[in-house]
Amino acid sequence: MTSSSVPSRKVLSKIASNRLQKEVMEWQTNPPAGFKYKVNDSLQRWIIEVTGAPGTLYTGETYQLQVDFPEHYPMEAPQVIFIPPAPLHPHIYSNGHICLDILYDSWSPAMTVSSVCISILSMLSSSPAKERPADNDRYVRNCRNGRSPKETRWWFHDDKV
Amino acid sequence: MDPEEDMHDARGESSQEEEDFYSEGYPSDGEDEDDDGDDAGYDFVDNDSDDPSTDVRRLQQNYTTLNEENISQRQADDINRVSTVLSIKRWEACVLLRHYNWSVSKVHDEWFADEENVRKTVGLLEKHIEMPNKRELTCGICFENYPRDTMKASPCGHPFCFSCWRGYISTSINDGPGCLMLRCPDPTCRAAVGLDMVDSMASREDREKYARYLRRSYVEDNRKTKWCPAPGCEYAVEFVMGSGSYDVCCKCSYSFCWNCTEEAHRPVDCGTVARWILKNSAESENMNWILANSKPCPKCKRPIEKNQGCMHITCTPPCKFEFCWLCLGPWTEHGERTGGFYACNRYESAKQEGAYDESERRREMAKNSLERYTHYYERWAANQSSRQKALTDLQALQNEKLEKLSDRQSQPESQLKFITDAWLQIVECRRVLKWTYAYGFYLHENEHAKRQFFEYLQGEAESGLERLHQCAEKELQVYLEAETPLKDFNDFRTKLAGLTSVTRNYFENLVRALESGLNDVGPSNSQAGSNQAACSKSSSSKSLAPGKSKSGKSRTGGAATSSRSGSSRGMDDSIWTCDSCTCTNPKSNSHCQACDRHR
Ligand SMILES: [Zn+2]
Ligand SMILES: [Zn+2]
Ligand SMILES: [Zn+2]
Ligand SMILES: [Zn+2]
Ligand SMILES: [Zn+2]
Ligand SMILES: [Zn+2]
Ligand SMILES: [Zn+2]
Repeated sequence: MTSSSVPSRKVLSKIASNRLQKEVMEWQTNPPAGFKYKVNDSLQRWIIEVTGAPGTLYTGETYQLQVDFPEHYPMEAPQVIFIPPAPLHPHIYSNGHICLDILYDSWSPAMTVSSVCISILSMLSSSPAKERPADNDRYVRNCRNGRSPKETRWWFHDDKV
Repeated sequence: MDPEEDMHDARGESSQEEEDFYSEGYPSDGEDEDDDGDDAGYDFVDNDSDDPSTDVRRLQQNYTTLNEENISQRQADDINRVSTVLSIKRWEACVLLRHYNWSVSKVHDEWFADEENVRKTVGLLEKHIEMPNKRELTCGICFENYPRDTMKASPCGHPFCFSCWRGYISTSINDGPGCLMLRCPDPTCRAAVGLDMVDSMASREDREKYARYLRRSYVEDNRKTKWCPAPGCEYAVEFVMGSGSYDVCCKCSYSFCWNCTEEAHRPVDCGTVARWILKNSAESENMNWILANSKPCPKCKRPIEKNQGCMHITCTPPCKFEFCWLCLGPWTEHGERTGGFYACNRYESAKQEGAYDESERRREMAKNSLERYTHYYERWAANQSSRQKALTDLQALQNEKLEKLSDRQSQPESQLKFITDAWLQIVECRRVLKWTYAYGFYLHENEHAKRQFFEYLQGEAESGLERLHQCAEKELQVYLEAETPLKDFNDFRTKLAGLTSVTRNYFENLVRALESGLNDVGPSNSQAGSNQAACSKSSSSKSLAPGKSKSGKSRTGGAATSSRSGSSRGMDDSIWTCDSCTCTNPKSNSHCQACDRHR
């Protein structure tokens, strides 16, 4: 195991692809409500469609999530971002980066794409206002050179939202 | 069965045990180290006790140097104690101790106050839950099925396969010391994953890393221990708080302040050292710094550093003069009218009218301030390099000269320890002297009595040390170069040993006097009595000054000898100088305290 950079470019390990195949199967029989995922040939990048839950600020709106899996998934967290335009939300930056602890420090290998999706939808549903994080412009500017959200030292917003 | 009862018993036992432990280990201080607090440290006030107990105290170390093995041993002992007292497994005790920063008493206190809550916080389940009782189980990470008996779980019963556990633990260990607080992978579960799981499943390399993190944590998260800051040194130092000086000397021979981990700096306090170091680094980066950031207080002339935007400056106590940073006028003449807190129109208008040439004035002030700083800095640095030189000389002495001397003078090397002692003393004196210059820099110009006394003591210290250095260096040379009569060499021994002891006493008293803020000196001139207390100890070195009388019963007359600081402190009659070794002795002694020769 070398410690070279750009982990996302590495192919999935045997363990990772086995586990992802199981997740695909599980998703097909039991997809999380509000999400659509079309199986394609790339196991390593999933594009998932989210529909805002009824009775929330995002009712009927659809957005796209991009999930990239690292070589050592699920020991390492996947990278999850919204493909812009990202929903207006106090924890979602205009470049699609999401401030949600389970995607970073609090990731556990026992979590799945499905459980992450459910967390993201619940984050959307509990939003009190459609607005960007206060530091949106500064953060997005700092990410211009294609920095991954996993390299950010996140300071998690309070979890009331 | 009544678990409540048991617990109370256990508590009683534990605190008893604890007391024994500390009183056994550290005879000087039987107190609980955990609420000792920050009032610790500076109890040097009894600086006029001439009784020998001060020496005893000096010898009673309030710290211990620990090597890797000692650290592991202590850690294991603590884990065992907690495990025994709380009747929990060792790995559980380890998790608990880590959580409470390795304080055994804290763990006991918290546990017996609210065990349920502690268990919840730390992730220790009271009842171990078995894995589901099926022949095959699904691993919660790879989702594969495995026979039940190949699966493992924390006490929470969430089953994972061996290779997933191994990967999970390894990822965490390679992420850093957070692995010591590892929890079950199940996101809904906070059960702790401890040393036993690591030991039974991780690779050898990972197990070693984990053990290293454990040891490091025991030193770094423990309030009682710190790593020695010397580069490359792997010892840690355990300190008993509330027991006197913070200065410790690691087994690697590096002396440092346990509190701020800077190089040992008695007699100045940690705050002064930090300021001084900051000042020096700022100075060396840019001499102009002082021009922009430091001005002498218009009243007491001490340099004042401005660190905030406001122009309202208050000089530090005891001066406390409030003035305007821009015009240096008293603040009482300022306020809304003069432009508020961030500007001063008194200054602006005066400048416009050309009432005073600002740059001229600035330069003048900066010059004062800079010259003053330079004065202290040069002397501070000079002593630093003298100390470095003395250390090198000491090494040369130990590496070759002692052997040569032992040859020349037909003395066993064990009989030459007095020379090493002299050099060690020189090194220590240079260190103290160095810091007296930082002390002097921050001393108030307007405390005349104090400053005078300080400069007097410092001057005496310098000349005393000079004399010792002279003797240890130049006079030694004679005996290195040729065989000399035994009597001469014995005289040299007597003299050098005497000078060493006298200088040691002088410096110890100097340190104590400065640490107590020279409080023997009143602001007025009523110091005759109290000064004498400080001086009678320092009096010894008075005669170390050059130009002493040749007559047998010479009395170092205050007015007649050095006029430094112009004070005849009324000790002329109270002392006599030894003819043989030049030590000064109190009148009451009939024999010299250094060489024991009759008066
Ligand atoms: Zn669990
Ligand atoms: Zn597994
Ligand atoms: Zn050391
Ligand atoms: Zn210090
Ligand atoms: Zn002042
Ligand atoms: Zn002013
Ligand atoms: Zn003598």
